[in-house]
Amino acid sequence: MSEAKTHSIDISAMQRSQQALRIEDETVCLSVKDLHLYYGEKEALKGVDMIIPEKKVTAFIGPSGCGKSTLLRCFNRMNDLVDSCRITGEINLHDSNIYEKGTDVAELRRRVGMVFQKPNPFPKSIYENVAYGLRIQGINQKRVIDETVEWALRSAALWDEVKDRLHESALGMSGGQQQRLVIARTVAVKPEVLLLDEPASALDPISTLKIEELIHELKNDFTIAIVTHNMQQAARVSDYTAFMYMGDLIEFGDTNSLFTNPSKQQTEDYITGRYG
Amino acid sequence: MKMEKQSVSQWVKSGDPWVWLNAGAVAISVIMVVGLLLLIAVRGLGHFWPADVMQATYSLPGEKSYTIAAERVESVEVTAAQLREAGVNLPEGGDPLLKRTLLKMGNRDVYGADFGWVLDKYLSDIQTPEMLFAAERHEWGNLYGYLMSVKEDGQVVSETSDLTPTDSALATWATFEKSIERAAVIHDEIKDIEKGDIGKINHALERIRLKQRRFELNGELTLEVEADLAAERSQYDEEYKGLQANLADLYQQINRDSFTVRVMDGTVHEIQVSKIVHAFRPNAMGVFEKLGFYFNKVWEFLTDDPREANTEGGVFPAIFGTVMMVLLMTVLVTPFGVVAAVYLREYAKQGVITRVIRIAVNNLAGVPSIVYGVFGLGFFIYFLGSGIDQAFFPEALPSPTFGTGGLMWASITLALLTVPVVIVATEEGLSRIPRNVREGSLALGATKAETLWRVVLPMASPAIMTGVILAVARAAGEVAPLMLVGVVKLAPTLPLDGNYPFIHLDQKFMHLGFHIYDVGFQSPNVEAARPLVYATALLLVMVIALLNLSAVTIRNHLREKYKSLEM
Repeated sequence: MSEAKTHSIDISAMQRSQQALRIEDETVCLSVKDLHLYYGEKEALKGVDMIIPEKKVTAFIGPSGCGKSTLLRCFNRMNDLVDSCRITGEINLHDSNIYEKGTDVAELRRRVGMVFQKPNPFPKSIYENVAYGLRIQGINQKRVIDETVEWALRSAALWDEVKDRLHESALGMSGGQQQRLVIARTVAVKPEVLLLDEPASALDPISTLKIEELIHELKNDFTIAIVTHNMQQAARVSDYTAFMYMGDLIEFGDTNSLFTNPSKQQTEDYITGRYG
Repeated sequence: MKMEKQSVSQWVKSGDPWVWLNAGAVAISVIMVVGLLLLIAVRGLGHFWPADVMQATYSLPGEKSYTIAAERVESVEVTAAQLREAGVNLPEGGDPLLKRTLLKMGNRDVYGADFGWVLDKYLSDIQTPEMLFAAERHEWGNLYGYLMSVKEDGQVVSETSDLTPTDSALATWATFEKSIERAAVIHDEIKDIEKGDIGKINHALERIRLKQRRFELNGELTLEVEADLAAERSQYDEEYKGLQANLADLYQQINRDSFTVRVMDGTVHEIQVSKIVHAFRPNAMGVFEKLGFYFNKVWEFLTDDPREANTEGGVFPAIFGTVMMVLLMTVLVTPFGVVAAVYLREYAKQGVITRVIRIAVNNLAGVPSIVYGVFGLGFFIYFLGSGIDQAFFPEALPSPTFGTGGLMWASITLALLTVPVVIVATEEGLSRIPRNVREGSLALGATKAETLWRVVLPMASPAIMTGVILAVARAAGEVAPLMLVGVVKLAPTLPLDGNYPFIHLDQKFMHLGFHIYDVGFQSPNVEAARPLVYATALLLVMVIALLNLSAVTIRNHLREKYKSLEM
């Protein structure tokens, strides 16, 4: 990993408005090669090729049923849970194909964390929710867990709100807080990639804003891929955007150019609201 | 007319009849349940009340009149024709309907039967004399009569000739009460020694015998071993002799006192005080005294061993056996049912086979319970049990250890009977855990098993408890299969005691449900047993309610803790 490159990314991130990002300059975190996915007979992804750049926010947009969530769930093999699902092609996390035989799926999911559309805290205390991933890994020293929980809750901008009620049930929190708790829980296991599947779609505007701010913060430490229905949100939070339609990746590029000067007619139709 | 019609159809349309129908159905159910509970409560609880004892002269026309002393039990109206047919010599004419009363006259040893029907019309000179006393005996049921004297070692210490509460009568009564108290203390001591200490020695001697037999079977019975065992045995024998001497002494003491009683036919009988459990003069008792007596009797019913073919005394061994069997069954059925449900729902590939298994499980819940009893007897006891005996307890043969009905087999049989309920409830619970919670756990790097143990099963625990509650309710009320696999009418030694190995899973036990059947239908003294049937039934209902209530409390606690995500 070259230091110069990382450095140049930091500068470009700060000066995004002036200077266009170039995908060629990015370090590759995840690369997708000719990915086909079938649910039974139905082809849900029809040969996707793309990369997810390291320590950047990549947004997936497109109409409902276009395959963006399906693609996201390929990155941590969540689709394995669907019996009828079949996959060809490969996805590389750094240099290893995650669909290779013998991959430790649990370990992969620890490295590629995921936050879902609906907040899904466990019916445990706030503290235990965040500590869950650590306990799964067999970490039991109270000191380590205490520190990690605090760090994770601070990373998710939740610490100040909950520090006095860490041992109360997480189910008593508001929806927005619950979603940030889920983010904290995911962050606590220190994954490399964060997959966010419409993380703000079930939340009110203020909570949504908080989540968006959080994404800005988190991208300093994590590679983020986010699926969203909300194009303004994609434009606000992402560095790169992929537009998908009917299982195809139509266009992928830096967010500024994609929204201001889309190269494909379908993309333009979608972002100008002609369909979707 | 037209208006009327319209309003009826409107009434139908408004849905009111439907509401009335529903409410009516609920009301009938409630009334039936309450009525049932009331009936068994009134009949059962009334039994312990010390009713007044009346004295009266009974003179049927054409027969010799005689004096009776008795408690009223119940009255019914019968027709004169019916009575005539039954052979009662009634004069022609008179009332076509007569009141007939069942009396508890006691003194079975004197009269032959302690219950009898009389026609109220021919009772005369009814009174409730204060000195007329009732005594509950260890054998032969109640005694009614007048106390005449109390003796110590055959010497009269107190006597009276009065049937009214004169000073001498009351003094004799006081001496009598003291004497009974003294006898009761000695009686308890004797019971402690016989059941406790001697029971322990018997247990130890039996273990020595089995040890010797084991050595013999293994061909290791050397002279040395034999000498060791003999030494051990002689030690216990010594101890036993000591206790025996002690007992003989106590028996002599308890038999010291006796009393004489005049019964209604005027004869006087001498009876040993040690035969009496309590003596009381119900006609002289105030309400509070009666209340105190009542609660004493209820307490005795709950905590004592049964006497007199289960028609007297308490039902403690039956309560204990029921609760222990149900708890053991719960311990067996819960893990088994949950594990099976987890496999069916979480791991098995959903398809034709799982569907068939599910149908089979559901049908298993509908198999009549006696069939389980037969299966338990044939498979568990005759096959598994005798196999266990051959392999592990050859020294006890030919008397079976596990090759006969017992607590363990009864619990396992009932566990089998109730496992479908737990499986169905658990599966239901598992299917209701939101998918996104499972995914949340998996996405954090948990394996499927970790997700199950840490998230899914805790969240499903209220549903599992629901299954357990249903299982407990069904198992506690089950009697038929138990009769085949280990319940007996009398088992005074509890399956849990101070003798190694403390829990005797091979022991036969008593059960409230079977007790009801036994007391009600197998008892030689039907009239005496009847109130006990109601009392035991009430107790059984209460025990089950209590077991359920505790399970419901646990479930509500779990529900609060893991309340499902409402989003």
